[in-house]
Amino acid sequence: MITRFITLIVSFFASIFMLCQPVVAAEKTIVFASDATWPPMEFVDEQKNLVGYAIDMVHAIAKEAGFKAEIKNTAWDGIFAGLAAGKYDAIASSVSITEDRKKSMDFSEPYYTVRQALIVRKDSNATTLDDLKGQKVGGQIGTTGYFTIKNASGLEAKSYDEIGLAMEDLNVGRLAAVVCDDPVAANYALKRYKDSLKIVQIIEGGEVEQYGFAVNKGNDETLELLNRGLSLVKEKGIDKELQLKWIGQ
Amino acid sequence: MNEQKSSQIEVGDGAAIPRRDDRGLVSAWWIALTGAVSLLILLPLLKPDPYLAIVRFIPDGVVITFKVTVSSIILAIIIGLLTGLGRISRNRIINLIASLYVEVVRGIPLLVQLFYIYFALGRIVRVPDIAAAIIAMAFCYGAYMGEVIRAGIKSIDRGQSEASRSLGFSRHQTMMYIVLPQAWRTILPPVGNEFIALLKDTSLVSILAVSDILRRGREYAAESFNYFETYTIIALVYLLITLILSKGISIMEYRLSHYERR
Repeated sequence: MITRFITLIVSFFASIFMLCQPVVAAEKTIVFASDATWPPMEFVDEQKNLVGYAIDMVHAIAKEAGFKAEIKNTAWDGIFAGLAAGKYDAIASSVSITEDRKKSMDFSEPYYTVRQALIVRKDSNATTLDDLKGQKVGGQIGTTGYFTIKNASGLEAKSYDEIGLAMEDLNVGRLAAVVCDDPVAANYALKRYKDSLKIVQIIEGGEVEQYGFAVNKGNDETLELLNRGLSLVKEKGIDKELQLKWIGQ
Repeated sequence: MNEQKSSQIEVGDGAAIPRRDDRGLVSAWWIALTGAVSLLILLPLLKPDPYLAIVRFIPDGVVITFKVTVSSIILAIIIGLLTGLGRISRNRIINLIASLYVEVVRGIPLLVQLFYIYFALGRIVRVPDIAAAIIAMAFCYGAYMGEVIRAGIKSIDRGQSEASRSLGFSRHQTMMYIVLPQAWRTILPPVGNEFIALLKDTSLVSILAVSDILRRGREYAAESFNYFETYTIIALVYLLITLILSKGISIMEYRLSHYERR
């Protein structure tokens, strides 16, 4: 009986050990979370693939730095909680580097620079947030665009799960304006809703915002890999190619 | 067959309605209530950062949740009454329409209905956000309510309407003055139960950017990253509301069971 028990325990540990083996042997895999509702940075195309500037960027960095990148499509609301809970190693989801966020996570070197853009319907006369006093203005929950609206005085701020839902509400007239990052604003106002929406202002609220990859505090190993890959990508000019491919100009 | 005279309708998706004889201090209801109340008081007192901020952030969400719940339940009862009567109607077309409505609504998840009414129909008619949420909730719950009301009417002994008809009441008068007043007694408790279920389901309208309790909590959590603390408070607030409501329904149920208790 006892020998059987010991054999059982030994084989249990042996199997665990064997399960661990391939992970150690293969090249390192970094799992990224990305909320693919943010075109053209990260979104889902008609073939259900994750595509976009940030997605290409992650794969380019992985190739340069020599790791395997796996990207999980994750809802934005809760994306930071998932990082803290260890569900993935990093976030590649157009996260602007802010002082508040730096308190609870570490950021890579910036990979893209954005500003907040104000979008209204074509028939609107508003040109700044001040023109919209007392009206409903929408943004995506937990984004710097939404914080801009909330901090502006006299507006009724409305938070949406996805920026696309806010754009649709603006399109049908339930909102007076939407605020979001300028590449996303351009994608919606110049492509998807080009007949009904327009960008009226790039909000100059102090300094510009920069996107970074977020990792848990103290995860220096991942951060180093990302920064090394990113600097190689920039050296080779791949970021310029991606800019041309996804954003234009 | 016809001896199965049960005037209780069991609809099991509301909340655990406390039994009247369950009066001790150690009943599940009392433990849950004391727990929820004391946590809601103690947490902000002992750890003001962030609990006090959260408690201050969500009251307008509670108001919106109540607004949506009360308006939807009133609309749903009206829709439900029409549907319930339609389902037992002898007019085949009315009967078919009512049954079709119930079948369609019960076959589509509430979340999909909310998206449909808000975004799909939003392209055709412009409905403000809270109104769209109320219409969607009422449209869905009207079907369930219809079934409750139909069951309530069916639970009234046939002899009642036969007697009424032989006294010269018309079919319409029989329903209005004899059957419905008696049926309400059976219908009200499950309606109260549906009210609680609806209140909990209003948390779904937060996806329509309606600033209810859940949306307010999510906004707070998304900015402060205090997910644990925020959702603890949100859960406690919902629990407290449903506990109080379920007690209220239990008392109402007791009062309405006057005749059975004799």
